[in-house]
Amino acid sequence: MLSPQEWDVLGLSLRVALASVGLSLPAAIAMGWLLARREFRGKLLLDGLCHLPLVLPPVVTGYVLLLAFGRRGWFGPVLDALGVTLAFDWKGAVLASAVVAFPLALRAVRLAIEEVDPRLEGVARTLGAGPWRVFFTVTLRLAAPGLWVGALLAFARSLGEFGATITFVANIAGQTRTIPAAIYTFLNQPGGEDAALRLVWISVAVSLAALLGSEWAARRARGRQEMR
Amino acid sequence: MLTLCLRRRLSHFDLNINVVCREPVTAIYGPSGAGKTTLLNLVSGLTRPDSGHVELDGDVLYSTAEGTDRPPEARRLGFVFQDDLLFPHLSVEANLRYGYQRLTPAERRFDPGQIVELLEIGPLLGRWPQHLSGGERQRVALGRALLSSPRMLLMDEPLASLDQGLKSRIIPYLRHVRSDLGIPILYVSHSVAEILELTRQVLVLREGEVLAHGDFFDVARDPEVLPLLDEYGLENVLPVEIVGGGEGACTARCGEQILRIPACHRPAGTRLFVGVRADDVILARQSPEGLSVRNTLRGTVTEVAAVGATRLVTVDIGHRLVVKVTPEAVAELGLAPGLQVWCLIKTHSLRLGPEID
Repeated sequence: MLSPQEWDVLGLSLRVALASVGLSLPAAIAMGWLLARREFRGKLLLDGLCHLPLVLPPVVTGYVLLLAFGRRGWFGPVLDALGVTLAFDWKGAVLASAVVAFPLALRAVRLAIEEVDPRLEGVARTLGAGPWRVFFTVTLRLAAPGLWVGALLAFARSLGEFGATITFVANIAGQTRTIPAAIYTFLNQPGGEDAALRLVWISVAVSLAALLGSEWAARRARGRQEMR
Repeated sequence: MLTLCLRRRLSHFDLNINVVCREPVTAIYGPSGAGKTTLLNLVSGLTRPDSGHVELDGDVLYSTAEGTDRPPEARRLGFVFQDDLLFPHLSVEANLRYGYQRLTPAERRFDPGQIVELLEIGPLLGRWPQHLSGGERQRVALGRALLSSPRMLLMDEPLASLDQGLKSRIIPYLRHVRSDLGIPILYVSHSVAEILELTRQVLVLREGEVLAHGDFFDVARDPEVLPLLDEYGLENVLPVEIVGGGEGACTARCGEQILRIPACHRPAGTRLFVGVRADDVILARQSPEGLSVRNTLRGTVTEVAAVGATRLVTVDIGHRLVVKVTPEAVAELGLAPGLQVWCLIKTHSLRLGPEID
């Protein structure tokens, strides 16, 4: 059904999007907890910084990433020393997607954590559970439906990421050419419309599957709490 | 023995407590916003005081001077809240085991089966908190706290959201906790009846300060405490023993006095509390005739106290009975300590309370 080339593009897109969720969701959980549960000086500023990738043009985000993590960037020598290459590499695409998806995941996760009654966490403490255990057995369990929503938003945003990725890591077949970049490439080639349209259908199918899967998971998580 | 010395700035006043609780059950009474809940939170470690010292049976839980601050999970105090706060994502059984499974076998004082049996929650184990009634939820919450093998129970108006019938059914469980399991309790309530059914030891808080501490009837004589007790409706609680049944009413004995109480379908010899509100009792100088009222109890006035525009008359009928009357009534009847009076109480003004074991 799909050509080997299409499989490559789809596989890369899924790999990048899943890795991006894997990177942005834990960060969103940590930051979401901090913003939902703690009061500290500069909280508003931190909140604003976290949301910056949501309001900035993705190209700007990509350019900042290039300035920071490019080969000649601020952290270039550090990355070199660690033997990590981000520029023109799929890992760079993951970073770009994760940064752009982070604020979306954060909003969903923070709301979900705010919904959890802090007194339930207090009860758990008095029952002998330490803060980490309370976090994993009460807070995260009760926030689970919101975490699934956050994961879906991050996944969808990563799947559609174009501007930041192409600015930061360019458009290299097999490395950074995800579905949107591939569609863009085909549209710039004479007679590439058909190939582009096939990719459009593929992305519709993947997005729909992700939406249904996440809805099902969120429902299951919520059902455990309410339906019984 | 619980030693509390706590200071904390609150929005409207400073909480400043300095008290030693020696009795197994101490009730904390006070108007809303007096700092009762804050006090429990400070003891549990969920809130930090500005300074102070908390010591339970010689074990220092918090001390500014010594630099000790045990986190809540290390204090081993069971907390039962007004809203039961069961974990909605766990079954009743998993709720009960939440604290239990964190203990090493050596630390476990009770067997789940024993607690389940005591609280009669066996049939609920496989159910989910959302599907329990208020009374069932509160019993599960109590069981969950007990199974964490607490050294003391902190209870914050655990029965406030329940109706009278349920309260009467749950109080005996609390009495069991105290007498059978030997766990001391710090019990916040603003119901005098509830307190008297559990303990005589009361700590009265007002605006973060201890107004009085000691035996309820001694504390109740304090002219500053009386208005507070009256605020939520003062209800007398009398221990009685059923002597016989009858059509629509039972006969019960309260000391030397005989009372007709509402029908209660309990065998003779059963002991229970009956409640009667201070404003539901009528005082008479002579034994009246031709009245439908079933109970005329003879007693002696021991005290007449002014609370705002009303008077609270304490009558010794073998037990202390507080009666609320108007100043005119006091003047007209010449109510004064030493006077012999009759207390008239309708059978249906008597509330059947929990059984005493």
